[in-house]
Amino acid sequence: MTTIVDAAAATTAARRTPPPSPRRNRFRSAVVRYRWLFLLMLPGIVYFALFRFWPMYGAQIAFRNYIPFLGIEGSEWVGLGHFEDFFTNPDFPRLLTNTLIIAALSLFVAFPLTIVLALLLNELRLTILRRTVQTLVYIPHFLSWTVVVSLTGLLFAAGSGPLWTLLNGVFGGDTNFLTDPTWFRPLIVLQEIWKNTGWGTIIFLAALAGVNQEQYEAAIIDGAGRWDRVWHITLPSIRPTIVIMLILQTGQILNTGFEQIYLMSNALNRSVADVFDTYVYFVGIQQGAYSYSTAVGLAKAIVGLILIFGTNWLAKRFNQQGIF
Amino acid sequence: MKTRRLAPLAILAAGSLALSACGGGSSDAEGGGGGEAQALDSLTIMAPYFAAVAPESDDPVGTALSELAGVPIEVSWVPNSDYGERTNVVLAGDDIPDVMVITGKDQSFVSTAEAGGFWDLTDHLASGKYPNLVAENPEVQEAASVNGRVYGVFRMRDVIRTSVILRADWLENLGLEPPETTDDLREIARAFTEDDPDGNGKDDTYGMIAPQWPGGIGTSSPYDAIEVWHGAGNVWREVGGELVPAFTTPEWREALEYERDLVQSGYINPDFATMDPATWNEPFLNGQGGIIIDVQSRAAQLVDLFYEKDPENYDKYVALVGQLEGPNGTYALPTSGYAGFLAIPRSTVQTEEQLDQVLSILDKLNSTKAQILMNNGIEGDNFTVEDGYAVYDESKQDFTDQVTGAWAQLGMNVAGYEAYSPKPRSEYDEELAQLRLDLQAEDLQNAVFNPAAALVSKTYMSNGTQLDNIIGDARIQYIAGQIDEAGLDAAIQRWRASGGDQVTAEINELYAQLD
Repeated sequence: MTTIVDAAAATTAARRTPPPSPRRNRFRSAVVRYRWLFLLMLPGIVYFALFRFWPMYGAQIAFRNYIPFLGIEGSEWVGLGHFEDFFTNPDFPRLLTNTLIIAALSLFVAFPLTIVLALLLNELRLTILRRTVQTLVYIPHFLSWTVVVSLTGLLFAAGSGPLWTLLNGVFGGDTNFLTDPTWFRPLIVLQEIWKNTGWGTIIFLAALAGVNQEQYEAAIIDGAGRWDRVWHITLPSIRPTIVIMLILQTGQILNTGFEQIYLMSNALNRSVADVFDTYVYFVGIQQGAYSYSTAVGLAKAIVGLILIFGTNWLAKRFNQQGIF
Repeated sequence: MKTRRLAPLAILAAGSLALSACGGGSSDAEGGGGGEAQALDSLTIMAPYFAAVAPESDDPVGTALSELAGVPIEVSWVPNSDYGERTNVVLAGDDIPDVMVITGKDQSFVSTAEAGGFWDLTDHLASGKYPNLVAENPEVQEAASVNGRVYGVFRMRDVIRTSVILRADWLENLGLEPPETTDDLREIARAFTEDDPDGNGKDDTYGMIAPQWPGGIGTSSPYDAIEVWHGAGNVWREVGGELVPAFTTPEWREALEYERDLVQSGYINPDFATMDPATWNEPFLNGQGGIIIDVQSRAAQLVDLFYEKDPENYDKYVALVGQLEGPNGTYALPTSGYAGFLAIPRSTVQTEEQLDQVLSILDKLNSTKAQILMNNGIEGDNFTVEDGYAVYDESKQDFTDQVTGAWAQLGMNVAGYEAYSPKPRSEYDEELAQLRLDLQAEDLQNAVFNPAAALVSKTYMSNGTQLDNIIGDARIQYIAGQIDEAGLDAAIQRWRASGGDQVTAEINELYAQLD
């Protein structure tokens, strides 16, 4: 029975494509057919192979006691030892809390503000005004964190900064914003908003440009006000973009931006400023504990990956489009 | 048609280039471990540089040094900011130099040395075969060792650098003498804050200027200096045969009270916890603050800056004193006395004969002639000698800067610094230079060395930075009034629990073995 069916299948296959291995052949013909696309893809493939996949070979030092002199292969294998050390570290709960709070603030405060700003820009009818404002809000993105932090330092310097003088004068206090732990997170989020909100609007503005204008015309005829139009047409139209940006953002949740936080931290606010990224710097770079800090980085990456899959799954559950 | 065929080829070529760059060419076989017992026909050294550009391979200093050494010396210069990172890359690769400048005893160096990656030089240096490598200060060689084993020839630095720098004109306006005790310093800080030292009728000055860095423990910060003056010991202190961390002593608490009082009374800049150290000189120059506790060379720097501002009276602004007498006696804070060392990797220098050859060359590089080449340059070209001082040719300043910013980094000077000092600009500068030497000699007698400088504890290697941060941060929080004594105790408790107790146990075990 089987033989007959097999033989039949084989003859059918043979009739369509003579050589014995149809799958490989299909691939080959696809390569020939789409050779230009493959050629276009090649630099990307080479890039990923060289700079993304090949270095992963080195990630194994997270499971070894890496000593550069002995080489990767020659260093002692310790399995999950470094991961255990990290998760049982007395600093771990504090690092996790600080990281998550800062990440949550940027996700729930800075991210929605990007959408709000994009909507506001979209509502501007005077093109020249919109273009000017757009360009102006992009500028801070191109300043490095060192510059942003130095500016903050000048503005809030205890005893001489103009904002320090103004705020303490108006509210009658003697707060040193740069060292007071309660002010650390607000300052971090404000800097983040100032620097990146404008830049973040680009993708949403592109999505907004694609909204079908006829819908608005129809809505106006039906008597919808501006607010109704934003709520019932604009936002639903860019919802897929928002969801995708949200998923990507969640994957980055444990990356709190080393430079900004390291530069903003000092002896007096370290209790709230210590995050995974600064920890990796102190342990890995300053002390040369390469294996340990690689283990921490790897753990972070795995959590990020799980979060991406998690949000993607959630997005699909709530009938939205995921990214994969 | 043609381009289509070429594109993938070009990509492949680029890829293989990148690959071979990763692997690190092993073309230097003849430089190092060429044969079993063959003598080295050149010496490769890896060293950091601070200069704007690294010396070329045909640099006149390099040529002269090669002549002196008898073999060509090839230096691979690495910018100082990348040096630590590059050290590890080089150690992991095949292209290891014959001699490496190691900037500190960090985890990767210690583990490499203990795995047999560097020659143990303890007995070789003690043999007396290399007279220029015999240390003038054996304590410093001991401090630079790893638990008593010497893995490199250290690069000597001044042992006494900490000093108090004051506005001399303010002292004079107020009729005050330079301080001799910590109480004097407090009184001067008070007067500089409250008694209008610049006589402009406004309350616009404060006493002491302290920046954010150095601010940690054991970093020669102003706080460390005050604590040593109070008799707290230098990082570690021997109490009844046991080593205890300085911050567990009652004298440390006493010093912290003193510092807290300075801060709480407003005798220090209000942004002391965040001030950028690059701007440390500015309040002093602008007449906002009048006291800096830092290295002696900052006094010379400030004199130069005042010279630019006011060449007529530049000698009337800066007063310099050394250690201050504390309530419990007279103690001075020394440096570790070295800035890294030159270590010899075993993978390139393989036999005792080759090691002997390398050490002989290093011995020659420590001769007076070589020191002058490395620290001053070429006599008759970029400098001339007058009254035993070097006078530099201003038209060749770039070359001089390159010499001092690069070649001087190879200098070990362990048997004493023999090169010329620059000729002082005036009598005042000469006096200042002499004063610095006098203060160094005086403070050296009271120097409190870190008894654990040579000891490398495993736990400290892996957790040291966090452990130091716990105490360093708690100190600043306490003097800023953010935490009280209980908070300070809690921080020390946290230090103990995070591995501090283990460090203490390990250090004491090593300390017992050392004697």
